[in-house]
Amino acid sequence: MALSVKIENLSYSYEPGKPVLKSVSIEVAPGECVGIIGPSGSGKSTLLMHLNGVLRGDGTVRIGDLLVNEKSIAEVRRVTGVVFQDPDDQLFNPTVEEDVAFGPLNFGLTPEVVRARVGEALKAMNLEGFETMTSHHLSFGERKRVALATVLAMRPEVIAFDEPFSNLDPAMVQQLTGLIRGMEATLVVVSQSILPLLVCCDRIAILKDGEVVAVAPPREIARNSDLLRSCGLDISFYRDICIDYL
Amino acid sequence: MKHDFIDKYGTLSSPLHRLDPRVKIVCLFLAIVVIASEPLTSAIVPFLLYLVVVVSLTLISGVPFRYVIVRLLVASPFIVVAALFFSFTLYLTGGDGGPGSPETFIMPGVVIFSRAVLSVWLLILLTSTERFRRLLEGMRGLRLPPAVTTISALLYRYLFIIYDEVLRTTRARESRTPGRLRINRFRVYGNQLALIFIRSWDRSHTVYRSMLSRGFKGDFPGMQRLEAGWNDLVFAPLFLSVMIIIRIRAWERLI
Repeated sequence: MALSVKIENLSYSYEPGKPVLKSVSIEVAPGECVGIIGPSGSGKSTLLMHLNGVLRGDGTVRIGDLLVNEKSIAEVRRVTGVVFQDPDDQLFNPTVEEDVAFGPLNFGLTPEVVRARVGEALKAMNLEGFETMTSHHLSFGERKRVALATVLAMRPEVIAFDEPFSNLDPAMVQQLTGLIRGMEATLVVVSQSILPLLVCCDRIAILKDGEVVAVAPPREIARNSDLLRSCGLDISFYRDICIDYL
Repeated sequence: MKHDFIDKYGTLSSPLHRLDPRVKIVCLFLAIVVIASEPLTSAIVPFLLYLVVVVSLTLISGVPFRYVIVRLLVASPFIVVAALFFSFTLYLTGGDGGPGSPETFIMPGVVIFSRAVLSVWLLILLTSTERFRRLLEGMRGLRLPPAVTTISALLYRYLFIIYDEVLRTTRARESRTPGRLRINRFRVYGNQLALIFIRSWDRSHTVYRSMLSRGFKGDFPGMQRLEAGWNDLVFAPLFLSVMIIIRIRAWERLI
């Protein structure tokens, strides 16, 4: 069952006096997919890290009925999975199987259940037969899929993606958008690439200088050229290329 | 990135590799204790016998001698310095054989050197005949304090991060160095070293966050259940008996 995500007045700063998030409020309905776009340094990844309590700022974050705090952290991490931007930050075990099993084992599941979950997650990511391989010997696209499998094996009800489309070839981007659209969990996808988000998200929020400046359906966001331009996210450049060459 | 420098031979399938890691840890550590208990006045023959045992184990394991020797050479400066320092101290202070007599300071140094070389060799065998992950499970199975296994596991993981950063910064440097370095080497290598530590520090934070986000609570639970088999029951008593026979010089008593 997918859970809602409710962020209210969230502020966070790494250094005193330099807030990265300024009173951010966003609500995501159960089963909804919300994209968060914004230029570099706008606070997207920082916001994502608050969803399962890796970072904790001022304000409140709720996953379903759970208020993210010290008491609820174990349960919050059980229901919320984060797929990191760089798969190498997520894959630190000697083999793919051990990496995918890391989360479920930490939640105290038996080895038999964990083995079954690892098999399911790898199958979902088209990675059957990769169990004994070393993650670091795989291609970047394969490592991205393993990183996603590590989260899927935990069967989270909320999945947060940090720049899932970066450094992927177009075929892989298409495959990933298909996968994201097919997921039954509540999804929060942070990205600088607006185009894939238009395809797979129900709503898109724009973050600029740590503040949410717009939340709207993808079509509305894509058509608001002034807003996109003011946030450094103008896509007319790509549209013009497509018109010229295709 | 190349990441097999620790578990390089851990996946071989020799009789030594097939042993339960708990049995291997206990046996090799007891063997080290036996070797370390050799008196400083010991003759060289027992050490040659220990060496025969250790070389036999290496042959059985299938781990190349070159691999073992290279690692021994890495540790050798420390061993040689320790042995020389000990001999030199005895030479200066004198011993039972009178000041300056060779048997008072040369042989103890040789014994220290032999003890250390054999102990390091056994540790190399232990770490190269088992995947690091299984060694940790073995340590946990032996009820070692959780702090020891957790620190070992984190060390293992962060070693790869540092190694990654070494490779990345070296590539970045070499890609812009046609031929030999024309800038002050110390400055270049010093900057690279500093950068490696800063980047490793940052990345280890991110890795730690990813571990936290998957429920990491300070322990690394394993999927495999360790079970000692008949080969463990044969190896442990046989190996330890041989070591003890050498230690107590059983053949001298028989004669």
